[in-house]
Amino acid sequence: MATNPQEEEVREAAITRESEAAERMRYEAGAAVRQTSLWRDAVRRFSANKAALAAMVAFVLLALYCLIVPFVDPYDPNAVDFSQAYLTPSVHHFFGTDQFGRDLFVRTALGGRISIGIGFAGTFAIMLIGILYGSISGFVGGWLDNGMMRLLDALYGLPYLPFAIITLAIFGTVNFWTMVIALTIASWFTTARVIRGQIISLKENDYVRAARAIGARWNRILFRHLLPNTLGLVIVFVFLELPGVVLGEAFLSFLGLGINPPQASWGSLAQDGYSQYLSHPYIIVIPSVAIAWLILSAFFVADGLRDALDPRTQEV
Amino acid sequence: MRRRTLAWALGLVAAFAFVAAGCGGGGGSSNNANNNAGNGNTTAATNSGTLTVAIGSEPPSLDPGLATDTTSSYVVMNINTPIVKLGPAPDLKPRPALAQSWDVNGNSVTLHLRSDVTWTDGTKVTAQDVVWSWLRTISPQLGADYAYQFYGIKGAQEYNGCKPSASNNQCNDLKNKVGLSAPDATTVKIQLTSPQPWFMQQLSHVSFIPVSKTAVQKYGDKWTAPGHIVTDGPFKLTSWKHDNSLTLQKYDGWYNASQVKLNTVNLKIITDGSTALQAFNAGNVDVNDTGWPVSETSSLKQKPEYHQFPALGIYYYGFNVKQVTDVNQRKAMALAIDRKTIVENITQAGQVPAPSFTPDGMPGASTINTGSDFLKPTADMTLANQYMSKVKSPVKNITLIFNNAPGHKEIAVAIQSQWQKLGLNVTLKQQDWPQFLQFLGPPPNSSVDAFRMGWVADFPDDINFLSVLECGGGNNYTNWCNKQFDQDLKQATASSSQSQRYQLYQQAEQILTGKNGDMPIAPIYWYTYADLQKSTVQGYKINPMDEIDLSQVSVSQ
Amino acid sequence: MLKFVVRRVLWTIPIILLVILMVFGMMKEIKGSPFRRTERAVPAAVMANLNRKFGLDRPWYVQYERYVRDVFTLDLGPSLVLRNQDVNGIVEEHFPVSAELGGLAMLFAIVVGVPLGVISALRANRFTDYAAMLVANVGFSVPAFLTSTLFIYFFAGKWGGFTGLPTNGWDTWSAKVLPVIALGLGPLTYFARLVRGQMLETLQQDYVRTAKAKGLRWRRVVGVHVLRNSLIPAVTAAGPLLGFIVTGSFIIENIFAIPGIGRYYVTSVEGRDYSTVMGITVLLSILIIVANMVVDILYGVLDPRTREART
Repeated sequence: MATNPQEEEVREAAITRESEAAERMRYEAGAAVRQTSLWRDAVRRFSANKAALAAMVAFVLLALYCLIVPFVDPYDPNAVDFSQAYLTPSVHHFFGTDQFGRDLFVRTALGGRISIGIGFAGTFAIMLIGILYGSISGFVGGWLDNGMMRLLDALYGLPYLPFAIITLAIFGTVNFWTMVIALTIASWFTTARVIRGQIISLKENDYVRAARAIGARWNRILFRHLLPNTLGLVIVFVFLELPGVVLGEAFLSFLGLGINPPQASWGSLAQDGYSQYLSHPYIIVIPSVAIAWLILSAFFVADGLRDALDPRTQEV
Repeated sequence: MRRRTLAWALGLVAAFAFVAAGCGGGGGSSNNANNNAGNGNTTAATNSGTLTVAIGSEPPSLDPGLATDTTSSYVVMNINTPIVKLGPAPDLKPRPALAQSWDVNGNSVTLHLRSDVTWTDGTKVTAQDVVWSWLRTISPQLGADYAYQFYGIKGAQEYNGCKPSASNNQCNDLKNKVGLSAPDATTVKIQLTSPQPWFMQQLSHVSFIPVSKTAVQKYGDKWTAPGHIVTDGPFKLTSWKHDNSLTLQKYDGWYNASQVKLNTVNLKIITDGSTALQAFNAGNVDVNDTGWPVSETSSLKQKPEYHQFPALGIYYYGFNVKQVTDVNQRKAMALAIDRKTIVENITQAGQVPAPSFTPDGMPGASTINTGSDFLKPTADMTLANQYMSKVKSPVKNITLIFNNAPGHKEIAVAIQSQWQKLGLNVTLKQQDWPQFLQFLGPPPNSSVDAFRMGWVADFPDDINFLSVLECGGGNNYTNWCNKQFDQDLKQATASSSQSQRYQLYQQAEQILTGKNGDMPIAPIYWYTYADLQKSTVQGYKINPMDEIDLSQVSVSQ
Repeated sequence: MLKFVVRRVLWTIPIILLVILMVFGMMKEIKGSPFRRTERAVPAAVMANLNRKFGLDRPWYVQYERYVRDVFTLDLGPSLVLRNQDVNGIVEEHFPVSAELGGLAMLFAIVVGVPLGVISALRANRFTDYAAMLVANVGFSVPAFLTSTLFIYFFAGKWGGFTGLPTNGWDTWSAKVLPVIALGLGPLTYFARLVRGQMLETLQQDYVRTAKAKGLRWRRVVGVHVLRNSLIPAVTAAGPLLGFIVTGSFIIENIFAIPGIGRYYVTSVEGRDYSTVMGITVLLSILIIVANMVVDILYGVLDPRTREART
């Protein structure tokens, strides 16, 4: 029977209350209580979120594709053979071939290694710099905090893509690491600000004041109390920043500043495909779908993680 | 309470911002009056008398002294009257335009100008205008890239190289020593540094076009803006919306105005090839000069709208001979390039695989390219490997640099795989244009082993091509010097016999790409120009110098 | 309160100076000359003349001082590549176009994104939620060059006769439709997710549950209490979104042939047109800084705690 959603809500809430009551009874009866920590709780809540779970699976699948396929695929990703050019996707070539007759299934996987690699490296760099900057600023406070925040305001004014372009122009060459640096340089500001905000609000908590009162040293407070509590936020941020970095790399490649051939990233594959989309659309669609797949799964995972880790959002 | 008022305040601010942005931007669309075609309005483009062309970039400048790229030249050549025009291929002989006749006597050239050419402000174009304009282009203050075109005139190079400073009058003295004079309103006397048989053809170049002294002196740097600009050609510039479009209207005061069939020309700036192709297919433009994605070429070639024209230009790879020192390795690498495959599979626009540096369309090519059969259209791997085996210490790791414009990457990938067959490990480096030029120098950066380059003729004489590789020349990025080569060119410059010059060019070409040559460069293909034109457009031709004469174009109903 | 505002405004001046210094420093690092535009070599004498004409041969601190003076007198100098234009003129002609494109895209993102976020929050963790979020997220995930390409191909190309939309340009209102949507899809995602998150949080609040329990009409509860409190934090989106608009507009303007400032920016960096790059970067930076400052002030007004923590 179709029930209206509000009735469902009420019923679910009732069941939860019942099971909670049962737990409490067992506890009071002295039964062994299964301890749960923030993390285990989060994992449980995350798994209950179907969309987040599906997204995590999708993400892992994509990563596996990029890792495994180049080892098992029979075709040489760099072999130029014009007689095999522009074959549409088929059983022999799952993604077809490009203008040079190179198999796109393996090239997309290799491109994924580079794009995802740049994504994670860039995100890691952004997190590192952001956390360092934000926690120092938030923890120390006072005039140092003020100065650092003012500097950050100035840095905020630097438009991200033009700066990436200028940075690549300064390096003169585009490879994995210069791309990572270019994309990181103007992207860590929000992270720094948010971490700082988190540290500041955590600093005011009673348990921190208590720790201070009993004479705990600053590094103990910072590393033992404050940072671990920001970890949840950081994990969510990782999955939120990753798409931005990958998309940034795609944009830069599209503007002609991509990785040197014959290596490829999804962005440079898309750029190749763009000049041929009228007659051979699959060449641009495939890497774009890969990028979209990565970003969508990252977003849903981030949403799921945030819902799971945030103690304020209760199950409805 | 406070939150609510704040929310309203924010809403108002946001609304205001959007409205303000809308008003600011809306002003642009009120200039619609001049854009009567090509705005998604398909019917307007087929009115006879109006032509809409998609061009590939914003012209950096409409000043003849500063116009270096093809888009600027396109506009400047059609709103002005050049000194001479070039006749049809293959000879490309000079034809009267602003100059109706001329006398050439060794180092002296005298131009007799038409007396009925007028500026759009009503005054006549005089020989004094010509001399004043040329001196302006040669002057160090203007900083004209093409000033070197004038170096054949006596005293021009010295004047151009002068350092202007307030204290000394050195530059003025040098200016007075330049071999140009205008004894009367229709005569220009030119003294050259040596007899240059190609000089008359060279005068067809955009840099020699005279400018209106009145306009330049009145408006300074802004003299090319519509409303300020004064020109003397079949069309005049009536509107210029930067990065968007230019509009040309027929100038009724032109001496041949009765023969001009177009009334209005709309030049739409569409930089992206796919977008330009879409616009052409949708009927929004009559001619697509921007281009299109290369992969479309094979299907577009079948259509009647596709037009192809031969060009005097070459696409080549150069070697840094200080790095790739063994001539046998260079010969092997040049032999290993499969030009035919590249032209058929990558560029696909009917380009010609090039066995020599001098293109076949060059006047005298039949003599100059005699014996240019060492390099073949297809690769000769056997011969290439033979040469490779002769190399004592081959350079196995080759770094090839090219700029990131469309098309270069694909050719580099193909050649990379071809050179791999010689056992070479080729690394490709893609750079943006200014950096690419920085790496080329000259002299080229030591990390450069091979590079991609192109050259398009300034004027139709082979000296213009061959002098690229002169020892120490500004366009020679190969570090290559050959005394005999330079000697041949010098002799040719001094000679007044055409057949003797062609012989000397042939010898020089052999030193470049012949069997016993030095192979400092590996020619790949000779350019072609191609565009798409609606069937209603007639007379729209691109000559081998990439010039389009709109006064010959008409649009039928 | 006033002291807070004044202090924030005064702080922007050294910040702007710092930005100019950073941009200037970076531009000086890039190799390449703006004066070599074709393969043809420019004679050394001419190069020297050009460098002298534009002051590029002066020591760096002289050049820096000149740029600072230019910015504060609002005369950004001549363009090094487009020789008959100056940066002020370029900015005046092209910036309004980009601003309009960006503004309309934001409007689109809000008009479509906010309702999506609301629907998702009200039907949290159900099919509607997933579907609405998928639709919202697709806009950000599919790269702009693909969406623009598809838009032009289908809506202006194949079905062009039916829709009447042109393939490129910015002159008629119909030309604005596709680029605005293409650019707005990214911010749309942002708004949808933000509103959803905020609403979910607000829906948990006791006063909402109380209102519901009291028997108030659900629609009024959502519309009056929940929505308003969820929308205000969207103001913080101004900063990063402005950046996104600037970034996205490069690609959109390129593909749709829109004469905006984004296109000019990329070509200026590639052409080493130092004065134009400096001018536009500083302009964009000032915009972002001012936008952030406004947001900060509004937040200071809104929440006294942040005021104290910041200054």
